[in-house]
Amino acid sequence: MIINHPLLGPRDAAEFVYLGDASLMNRPDAGSDDAAHAFYEYLYLRDNPAGEHKELWYHEQGDRSWLVVTRNTLTHEISNVELASGVARKAGGSS
Amino acid sequence: MSQSNRIDGGLVNRNQPYSFKFNNETMHGYGGDTLASALIANGIKLVGRSFKYHRPRGIMSAGSEEANAMVQLRTGAYTEPNTRATVAELFDGLEAKSQNHRGPLGFDVMAANDFLSPFLSAGFYYKTFMWPKALWEKFYEPVIRASAGLGTLSGQADPDQYDKGFLHCDLLIIGAGPSGLAAALAAGRAGARVILADEDFVMGGRLNSETHTVDKMEGSTWAETATAELYQLENVRMMTRTTIYGSYDHGIFGALERCTDHLYDGSGKPRQILWRIYSKQSLLCAGSTERSIAFGNNDRPGIMMAGAVRSYVNRYGVTPGKRVSVFTNNDDGWRTAIDLKAKGIDVTSVIDTRSIAAPYNVANAATIMGCRVVDTVGRKGIHTIMLSSGQTMKTDCLAVSGGWSPNVHLTCHQRGRPTWNEKQACFLPGGDLPVGMSVAGAANGEMTLQAALTAGHEGANNILSSLGINTASAKASKASAESAKITAFWHVTESRSRAWVDLQNDVTTKDIGQSFREGFKSVEHLKRYTTLGMATDQGKTANVLGLAIMAECSGKTIEQTGTTIFRPPYTPIPMGALAGRARGKDFRPFRLTPSHKFAEEQNAAFVETGMWLRGQWYPIAGETHWRESCDREVKATRESVGVCDVTTLGKIDIQGRDAAAFLDRVYANTFGTLAVGKVRYGLMLREDGIVMDDGTTARMGEHHFVMTTTTANAVSVFRHIEFCRQCLWPDMDVHLISATEQWAQYAVAGPNSRKTLQNLVDKAFDISNEAFPFMACGKVTVAGGIPARLFRISFSGELAYEIAVPTRYGDSMIRALMKAGKAYSIVPYGTEALGVMRIEKGHAAGNELCGTTTAANLGLGMMVSKKKDCIGNVLSQREGLNPDKPLQLVGFKPVDTTTSLSAGAHFVTKGDEATMANDEGWMTSVAYSPILNCSIGLGLIQDGKNRMGEIVTAANPLKRSSVDVEIVSAHFVDPDGDRLRV
Amino acid sequence: MSDFNFVSQPVLGGFSQESQGVSITEQISLGIVSVACPNNGDEALAASAKKAFCCSLPDVSGVEVSDGGTMRWLGLQPQQWFVLFEHGADQGDPLAIIKDQLGDTAYCTDQSDSWVSLEISGPLAISALERICPIDLHPAVFPVAAVARTTMEHLGVIITRTGDDQFLMMSAASSADSFLHAITTSVKNITA
Repeated sequence: MIINHPLLGPRDAAEFVYLGDASLMNRPDAGSDDAAHAFYEYLYLRDNPAGEHKELWYHEQGDRSWLVVTRNTLTHEISNVELASGVARKAGGSS
Repeated sequence: MSQSNRIDGGLVNRNQPYSFKFNNETMHGYGGDTLASALIANGIKLVGRSFKYHRPRGIMSAGSEEANAMVQLRTGAYTEPNTRATVAELFDGLEAKSQNHRGPLGFDVMAANDFLSPFLSAGFYYKTFMWPKALWEKFYEPVIRASAGLGTLSGQADPDQYDKGFLHCDLLIIGAGPSGLAAALAAGRAGARVILADEDFVMGGRLNSETHTVDKMEGSTWAETATAELYQLENVRMMTRTTIYGSYDHGIFGALERCTDHLYDGSGKPRQILWRIYSKQSLLCAGSTERSIAFGNNDRPGIMMAGAVRSYVNRYGVTPGKRVSVFTNNDDGWRTAIDLKAKGIDVTSVIDTRSIAAPYNVANAATIMGCRVVDTVGRKGIHTIMLSSGQTMKTDCLAVSGGWSPNVHLTCHQRGRPTWNEKQACFLPGGDLPVGMSVAGAANGEMTLQAALTAGHEGANNILSSLGINTASAKASKASAESAKITAFWHVTESRSRAWVDLQNDVTTKDIGQSFREGFKSVEHLKRYTTLGMATDQGKTANVLGLAIMAECSGKTIEQTGTTIFRPPYTPIPMGALAGRARGKDFRPFRLTPSHKFAEEQNAAFVETGMWLRGQWYPIAGETHWRESCDREVKATRESVGVCDVTTLGKIDIQGRDAAAFLDRVYANTFGTLAVGKVRYGLMLREDGIVMDDGTTARMGEHHFVMTTTTANAVSVFRHIEFCRQCLWPDMDVHLISATEQWAQYAVAGPNSRKTLQNLVDKAFDISNEAFPFMACGKVTVAGGIPARLFRISFSGELAYEIAVPTRYGDSMIRALMKAGKAYSIVPYGTEALGVMRIEKGHAAGNELCGTTTAANLGLGMMVSKKKDCIGNVLSQREGLNPDKPLQLVGFKPVDTTTSLSAGAHFVTKGDEATMANDEGWMTSVAYSPILNCSIGLGLIQDGKNRMGEIVTAANPLKRSSVDVEIVSAHFVDPDGDRLRV
Repeated sequence: MSDFNFVSQPVLGGFSQESQGVSITEQISLGIVSVACPNNGDEALAASAKKAFCCSLPDVSGVEVSDGGTMRWLGLQPQQWFVLFEHGADQGDPLAIIKDQLGDTAYCTDQSDSWVSLEISGPLAISALERICPIDLHPAVFPVAAVARTTMEHLGVIITRTGDDQFLMMSAASSADSFLHAITTSVKNITA
């Protein structure tokens, strides 16, 4: 596979490490009343779509960027690639 | 032997005579021959024995689709089995042997199988070897293994070199026949980056085998001219002897280039290269493959594809027979008769299954329309054919054409399905092509030369437009006219003898009928049950025939029946090419510490930890067992001083205004409160509450920390904290960079470690206990100004330091430390002694941080701060991880101190049976302690802290051992840590 | 004077070879300092780099040459650069050269000893590198002053084009032997 890195252009998937569902970026608030349940859902419950899937890839043998890659799990078509830090900032990262 | 079947013409180089050996007999051929054409030139018909029935077989094709003519090529360690003679280029000194016979090729004792054929039909193995089960290993398997397979392996290491590589292009053109050459000219002249690859050693494809004209030139001349022009273009990479074997995601292709297979001696260059080709667009110009017709005894030597006969006659200047007949269901088959006539070869008859007017006039040959070949005679070479009309004819070569199947394989490697075209009686590429691929020429059903040339030209121009490249103005080349009419015809129903569908796997029409009757009706089942389409040729000539017959059995259309899935590779890939350079010690890279040379000089034994090679122990004269060395190193260190290379620990430089706050979030314990110039042990959890890693982190400045990780987790910890930084808390000002490689770091441990270092550290730096207490850190210089970092930390439990210098001084540093500690009899110690001392001290390491343990399990529960959130904090409090009687890390000593403990042993209450139900935990690490003079262990056992002094049983069913052990403190040595602080 | 003899040792002992029209030379006096930009500190860093080194900061995968060609800034990842400059072992702390100038506008880390640096040059350099480098090195795609970080033979590698037929390649110091082996084998295997 080839991942079209937003800063570097097309790079072989062999340079990347896969993590999983991009929802892992939405870490729950540890201070909330239902934190235990929220963390359980966050860590263990995943959608497994046959089709478009937003997922996290790390350019370990490259620029060390974490990327949010939108990939069709049926065809491997990659329709969008974004820097995860940008996505996280837009979502109002929990800093 | 003379070249009895060599005729005039062809593209072989008669000024380049070669001699070669087949079955030890010396023969002659020319440059430009394949082994197959050279064998034909020498009048050889019988070249091998079939897989199952050991039937005599000859050459049936002139290309990579060959199902019969497989030979054992070369000798000794270089030998390669199952090499298709039709693609093996002849070279001077080539040696080949026929395969799959016991006794001489002409008299194979295994041919008895042929008479047992009623018992060896489809599903034979499945039915026969069911029982008795006991016979399987002792009898069936050895017998089958001895009889199965064709060639043999050398049993020696492959002496050849292989390589891999990466290529990039705008347009990959697969196949250099007429459409491929036309496309390459169009794209090359327009300036696109083109790769043109062909499996043959000469470009031109069928142009070299046919007598067509292009632009008023002979086809082969046009191909040569086009090829010469393309070689001149810097933007075109010409790759002959290169098979594009697989199509992968996003325009990536696999290619095998055979670099030295055509040479007697490869001169040390790689024999083959496995290329990964990244293409923006690809044009498949793979042509088509002729298929046979199934009729009685259609496998005899001398029965050949009609197009292959033309290849031998036109390209190689050899004739497979002196009296040739043609059996066809299409117009193209007639070209064989016409071309042979033009060469003065006797054509006895043309038999056409179609009841139409003869499409061509062939002088002096019987042309028989609406007729079939029913049977043939001639065990080691055909001599007679019997026709459905009742006629019998003498012939020594039967050229058969059942029509051409487009080579759609690469269009299907990503689950694309080809579609059946009834008019052309073939499968064409389906609509679901791999990304960026288009198809031109015969591979796309454009079966005439003109159609192929035009399709290649236009296909390339369309691709250029999509890439935004201006097309050159030239028009497609003009070719002579031809006809490609066909009426599908699959098998001769009048035949009483066995009619072969798949020659390589000995699958007959009857096997397909039987498969259908026994319920294996889908094509995928048919394939597995009969082995139709398996092995090296992957059924290139057989598949369509087989499934057409299956369609007939089930009363379905071919479209409804479908095809099996095409998978890579298109043709066989040697294992050596897949391995590339990654063999022996080059299997993977290795990492060396800066003291490696020093350690070698000390005769150190090395252990692989990840990619690192670390000194395991350092034997001195007289030591014959590793334990002697290890025990000595431990004792010397605990009694005086030892030095260990700990460069391999991961080091991460962390800087930023939020660095401390960041560490508070990634570590379970607190770092915000750590003073500058101090080190703290850090415990890192995974988000699920399990311990991920541990290490010490030093605060070098207000906004500057140096984190250490375990050797094994250096990469995964870096990845994890980058995830935290970028994905979770992108607004924190924190920056990471690995500094593992920057520093050569040594642990200096033992009561004399300070004195040793005081000899080395420049006097300006006070490292006394008062000035530089336990867990202090700072920058110092050594040996008169060499920059260094000093950390007062201890893994051994002794007074200890770690000192780091820039890597370039690592070798000097170990030698300087040995000199500085000489007065204290300093020893280098390896990972074994390191392990013993950390077990004696009760420190958790990899065996304890095994991905299932919590901080509480390790006795570090108090470190998980309740005052702050951190990765893993919330879920570490889960009920499931906090049972009433949790596993707790404690020490174990054998009751009988002469017995040794084993890691992995499980604990049961004394007297209980060693069963899963009674399991209370397991021994994680064991060592022989030269300090306690007995075997000791660390382990996790339920409620261990409250069971001090209890005797339990450590059972190891794998070793059939059972040892009574006493639960003790994990801190065997210096439990109060007094030694650390002196 | 110290009792101890400290010698600065190049990882590959100053390796150099010329074979098949390709030369490979270990760069033994290269200072390498990583520079990271504090969050929201882009302008301040740009200004200090300009002032101290007359250098504008390249984008990721770009290279800027400054100070009369003596200093190369490689854009390696968002908000992070490697600065490369000639720096002998006897010239003191390479970190100070950069850090003293940039002050609080950057986070600097010495990387001079972390890498083995090889210059590979010659008309057939690409024929050797295409055996291990997955990156497209065609001059139209990877021109002079382009930089990429990728993987070759399982090793992380930073590659930058320093001339038409000349590349500087950096890989981890600890696996220098494996890295060198990968490159010399690639040169040996040139078939063109």
